[in-house]
Amino acid sequence: MNLSDSKKKLALAGVICGLVAACLAFMGNPANMAFCIACFIRDTAGALGMHQAEVVQYARPEIIGLVLGAFIISIATKEYRSTGGSSPMVRFVLGMIIVIGSLVFLGCPLRMVIRMSAGDLNAWVALIGFILGVATGVFALKKGFSLGRAHAVNKVGGTMLPVIMVGILIMAMIPSLLKASEAGPGSMHAPIIASLVGGLVFGAVAQKSRMCFAGSIRDIILMKNFDLFSVIAGLFVVMLVFNLATSRFVLGFNTPGIIAHSDHLWNILGMYTVGFAATLAGGCPLRQLILAGQGSSDSAVTVMGMFVGAALCHNLGLAASGTAMNAETQEVVAGAVPPHGKVACIICIIVCFVIAFTSKRDENKN
Amino acid sequence: MRKKELKLVVTFHTTADAMAMEKACKEYQVPGRIIPVPRAISAGCGLSWCADLGDREQIVDMMRKAGIEEEEMHECMV
Repeated sequence: MNLSDSKKKLALAGVICGLVAACLAFMGNPANMAFCIACFIRDTAGALGMHQAEVVQYARPEIIGLVLGAFIISIATKEYRSTGGSSPMVRFVLGMIIVIGSLVFLGCPLRMVIRMSAGDLNAWVALIGFILGVATGVFALKKGFSLGRAHAVNKVGGTMLPVIMVGILIMAMIPSLLKASEAGPGSMHAPIIASLVGGLVFGAVAQKSRMCFAGSIRDIILMKNFDLFSVIAGLFVVMLVFNLATSRFVLGFNTPGIIAHSDHLWNILGMYTVGFAATLAGGCPLRQLILAGQGSSDSAVTVMGMFVGAALCHNLGLAASGTAMNAETQEVVAGAVPPHGKVACIICIIVCFVIAFTSKRDENKN
Repeated sequence: MRKKELKLVVTFHTTADAMAMEKACKEYQVPGRIIPVPRAISAGCGLSWCADLGDREQIVDMMRKAGIEEEEMHECMV
């Protein structure tokens, strides 16, 4: 079935992805984190020993499945193109920035929508920042921003990230080889097979529907086109119904146990950073994984930047903490963004502005 | 729902080229509009220029003058 020739079918694609996320949440993934690209990359980086935060280490099969799902479906439907060479180091830095912004907010745009569907008002506040970030990126595009064109490269080049993902999957099957959290969010997960199948389905559907959170806002701002938005809307509705049906919908700020904080300015600035960097990089974290799966070495480099950024966040103490309940005193302890995280977020925004207004189309033309 | 018609769709190597196309078309008063690249012709998520088939010659001429290089020109239902 062609999932992309009408808004209704695109919304159906979003519904399928929403069902996958809801099932994984039901089967054990952390509350309202059901399917978060930044968090899952951070967990996988931890499993590989790239950071030492013991509560967020687990090789998430969802990430592996997303890349492989996009890879398999793009080969099957002859959309696989091995390309690369569009400012790879700038993309690496943008990948780092995307994850740093995400971990200041505590979630990628996909998780932002999932959190919104669970009644987390912090995510609705962050949406303001995300829209402003994408709008800033669109402004840069209108001013001639470009990272230069990608060229066709050796077919093997595009298979590198899928091969690395297969390697991580094999390592995850070997007992005690990778690190795995015994407590905290990293210890909460659906069964491996369910996560892998969920990732494969989500990846294939996202590839066919071109699902992209930054792209959906960009298309609305630039062209008043709601095609990509309809995918996101489908996902949101399914997650909303799931959360209402399973009593996971809790409207409010400062809700303990949902891995979120109510530092409004930094929720806005965190997602502003993500929206801005993702628009410059040509897609949100999910889209980067999908593009890498369908052969883009540029997106694969962005994904590598996301892994390094995630590791840095925990090695340097940049990531925010979620509001939690003190088990002994039963008092709510507000989550917050550490000072290093705030400085990093500001630096990331400055770097985005420098990249956005110094990388011009004419300079890159070849 | 709007009925789909056979249109000329110009795709570009970069989003910046598509933005430059929009600007140039306004300047030279060439008809058409910017749209997301139709899913039937690319797995990318970029932008393309959509115009009537009859405007092809005028568009090619304008692109040459403005120094904008297309990736491909397609005729497809939009």
